[in-house]
Amino acid sequence: MEKKPILEIKGYSKTYGEGKKAADNVTLTIESGDIYGFIGHNGAGKSTTIRAVVGVLDFTEGEILIDGHSVKKDPIECKKITAYIPDNPDLYENLTGMQYLDFISDVFEISKEDRKERIDHYAERLEITDALGDLISSYSHGMKQKLAIISALIHEPKLIVMDEPFVGLDPKASFILKQIMHELCEKGTAIFFSTHVLDVAEKLCNKVAIIKHGKIITSGTMDELTHGASLEEAFLET
Amino acid sequence: MKRKSILLNALLLSTSQRNILKYCKDKKKKGRIIGTTIGMALLYLMLVAYCIAQSIGFGYFGLTDSIPTMNALVISLISFFFTLFKTNGYLFNFKEYDMLMSLPFKAKDVAGCKFLYMYVKSLPWQMTVSLSTMVVYGIYSEASPIMYPVWIALSLFLPIIPMLIASFLGYLITKIGSGFKHKTLVQTILVLLFTAACFLPRFFIEDMIKNEKTEEVMKSVSSITGTAEKFYPPANWFSNAVKTFNISDILLLIGITIILFEIIFIPVGRSYRKINSALKSHAASKKKVKSTCKQRSVLGTIVFKEFKRMTGSTIYMTNAPIGELLCLAAGIAILFFDVDSILAKITQDAPITKEMLYPAIPFIVYFFAGMVATTAFTPSLEGKNYWIVQSLPIKKETLYKGKMLFNLYLTVPVTLFSIVTFSISAKAPILTTLLSLVLGFVLCAFSTTWGCVCGIKHMRLDWENEIEVIKQGAAVALYLFPNMLACMLLIGFTVGLGTFMDQNLVLVIMIAFVSLLAGLNYRKVLSLCKKQK
Repeated sequence: MEKKPILEIKGYSKTYGEGKKAADNVTLTIESGDIYGFIGHNGAGKSTTIRAVVGVLDFTEGEILIDGHSVKKDPIECKKITAYIPDNPDLYENLTGMQYLDFISDVFEISKEDRKERIDHYAERLEITDALGDLISSYSHGMKQKLAIISALIHEPKLIVMDEPFVGLDPKASFILKQIMHELCEKGTAIFFSTHVLDVAEKLCNKVAIIKHGKIITSGTMDELTHGASLEEAFLET
Repeated sequence: MKRKSILLNALLLSTSQRNILKYCKDKKKKGRIIGTTIGMALLYLMLVAYCIAQSIGFGYFGLTDSIPTMNALVISLISFFFTLFKTNGYLFNFKEYDMLMSLPFKAKDVAGCKFLYMYVKSLPWQMTVSLSTMVVYGIYSEASPIMYPVWIALSLFLPIIPMLIASFLGYLITKIGSGFKHKTLVQTILVLLFTAACFLPRFFIEDMIKNEKTEEVMKSVSSITGTAEKFYPPANWFSNAVKTFNISDILLLIGITIILFEIIFIPVGRSYRKINSALKSHAASKKKVKSTCKQRSVLGTIVFKEFKRMTGSTIYMTNAPIGELLCLAAGIAILFFDVDSILAKITQDAPITKEMLYPAIPFIVYFFAGMVATTAFTPSLEGKNYWIVQSLPIKKETLYKGKMLFNLYLTVPVTLFSIVTFSISAKAPILTTLLSLVLGFVLCAFSTTWGCVCGIKHMRLDWENEIEVIKQGAAVALYLFPNMLACMLLIGFTVGLGTFMDQNLVLVIMIAFVSLLAGLNYRKVLSLCKKQK
């Protein structure tokens, strides 16, 4: 499979009031088939970067390209091929799980047959099929997370961006999600996700970037970063 | 267009009580929804009765021709002000912003759909006013059958122009406010300043008419509506369309509405992400400030929590204390007016003396101060954070006592201040003033406890947007309308009693009566607290 850049972040900076830089000249390239971990302590700038990538947060400095389309100039094209799973998904609580998935499918113009097949497939694997007829307000955090995952996968995106995707998932669901991530990468999907769990990043990712005080401290393949040591050691040294 | 309708449909479905009723398995919750629906139906009936009575009044005094214009003006004004106070929560800074903006929607379309959602949600109230008025107008004017479909169709368009103007102003206010550190405060001040500014042209127009020595004009409702038509052409288009079925007026109203809708969301869409990013960013300051601890009593800390909840939300700030601000403004303004001449104009030849009106002062002040009780919606405002108070080692009584105390802190000072200024202006005796102050206080207690009863009984935690509980909640509606009605009835009753009884005695009777009601409400709050355990 030929690798090509799916997500290119070039010199992205985000300044909040009083001149505090939440992201400072961030430059990263994520290629098709990459599982790219984004690591940093609390408040390092992970979510600020992720929210800018998915077109939620406005920014003035730098450029972000998704499959060659500019997030600033061509946001709709970017969003058509991107999926975003936030750390704490705010879904429409008074819709049923199925109504919500239908809403997302309608937005991405997925045919009835395709949506049924994909929903059945992922809902079965994440063991949420029986709950899809219930109101989302009755779901636990983990179930909402599972629903957000299905809604992200339903349109077969080229890029999946996830903010702390494993928070709230039970061990089995975490395992299934990791399996799904591997399967998608084999098909050429790029995955960019933030995490605090270094073990997960070490086992799952082929590339990692570490962000501190808004700046990328280091990035590259796992071997380049760790030089044979553990990711935890490499992280603590930064 | 297809994506817009998908989004609008999802927005409506996500707040539809019918959807909850259909899929919810909790019988208690279903019962609450049915109860609330019945309560709302009663309020709609009250509104229908009020509109019909008002229109019959117009017809009775031979002002049938002015009914369509009055209808257009009432709907436009309601739509304008209600939208202005809601825009911040509906168009910007809403909960599911991240989810929606990560989907392939244009920012302009998201804003447009949020506007349409706001329009559809307020339409039942506006249509209730319009259709009730239409029926009376139809009967009095012996209108042709074609008037009815024209009226109904145009009523659907009538609220859109004022709502669009209010949304655009709300957008400008939010845009300016988002550039400041204290966003909520700046936006609140701008909204209130703008609202105050809206009333200035009114005085200017009145003054203009007076200067032209056409005092008769002021007395003639038809001339006032004529003047209003000049200042607000859509009212004229509506009026002409239903009276003469003029096609050009029909097309003007519909066409301008559509064009405005298309134009207004272009600039909104352009800076939508920027404004929302600014509103949602609460970045830490560069300067490291060591915060200090402060110890408070349990009740004091709940009051402080309520205060911070209020100052942290523009919607809360622009909707809840509005009555108190009006009360304060009236209290200051009364010092500069000659009360005797005002009373002379109001009472005219009626056998009423100034002294007989003294007992009405606390009720007049309360009409403003008691307009909104924060206790009617603060229980629902806990929303998803309800677990915090649930998990604290405090009794429910303590929680609601804190909420009630906060409302008293808001209402009592302004009520007492205004009663004093009203009494000074009216040259009321000291004893009457003191009794009025006591009555003012118990009225605040009544408002607080009645609000709390409504707030707990109709508590709704699963809201998507705080507007749903602050402005559109069943608890607020059930508090507001009976409270206003009771206040007006009590003003009449007090003045009536004052005609054959000493005014101080009337005040004492009222103090005892309102205290009893407040006491009963308080007991109800305590019993509701026990049920909540």
